[in-house]
Amino acid sequence: MQEKELDCLGEACPIPLVKAEKAMNTLEVGDLLIISIDHSCAMKNLPEWARDNGHNVEIEETGEGQWEVFIEKCK
Amino acid sequence: MSNENQQSLVSSLYERFLKNPWPYYTGAVILAVLNVALLAASGKPWGISGIFNYWGGMIVELFGGSVENWLFFKNPKHLKLLHKGFWGNPGSVRDFAIIIAALMTSLLAGQFKFKMIKSWRQFAAAVIGGLFMGYGAMIAFGCNIGGLFSGTASMSLHGWVFMVFIFLGGLVGSKILVKYLL
Repeated sequence: MQEKELDCLGEACPIPLVKAEKAMNTLEVGDLLIISIDHSCAMKNLPEWARDNGHNVEIEETGEGQWEVFIEKCK
Repeated sequence: MSNENQQSLVSSLYERFLKNPWPYYTGAVILAVLNVALLAASGKPWGISGIFNYWGGMIVELFGGSVENWLFFKNPKHLKLLHKGFWGNPGSVRDFAIIIAALMTSLLAGQFKFKMIKSWRQFAAAVIGGLFMGYGAMIAFGCNIGGLFSGTASMSLHGWVFMVFIFLGGLVGSKILVKYLL
């Protein structure tokens, strides 16, 4: 199992989503992608996109207006 | 109700109404109702960016400049409204309220944060994009609120034309974004 971190702090929508999509394509099933974001709309569209594509998602609030989104590649 | 239950009720209400983003349809319904109310009460459609003309004019006059020769303020109606000042212009008060409300929303949700500029590319894109949006809104006599939202809501053709071209602009913009900002 591989873990990949993606620093999207300071990036506005839809850049975190596009970057996550790209990074996901380089990962294998079972791998974990951790995306740091501080744009609240990414907190909505990233998990939505990942769940729609059948991946497991968890969000952790790491600070004021700052989150880490964990996406486990499931297929 | 026990103290513990009350606390969990308060925190679940907080999570639901202040912390978590509302669904898009909730926002849509609220915007629609408020738009009808504003149009009925004031007789004028809602607009945002037209007010920036007045704010710009106020800033220039504040520093002793004159705007009377500007094309926009050659219209006596515009000049009169400019001289009613910041608080005498209903649109100006609304725009100010939007900024304050947006600030309050992020503070109440505990999500207020100063964001770093990531790169010179992002900085340049923001400046160029902002200038284009501002200039475009002025020559189109409205932004996506005055032009698109108020236009389509009142079934005016210009709103639908705006929608077609904002979609095309969005397509071009997203291509540029993927090419230069990733």
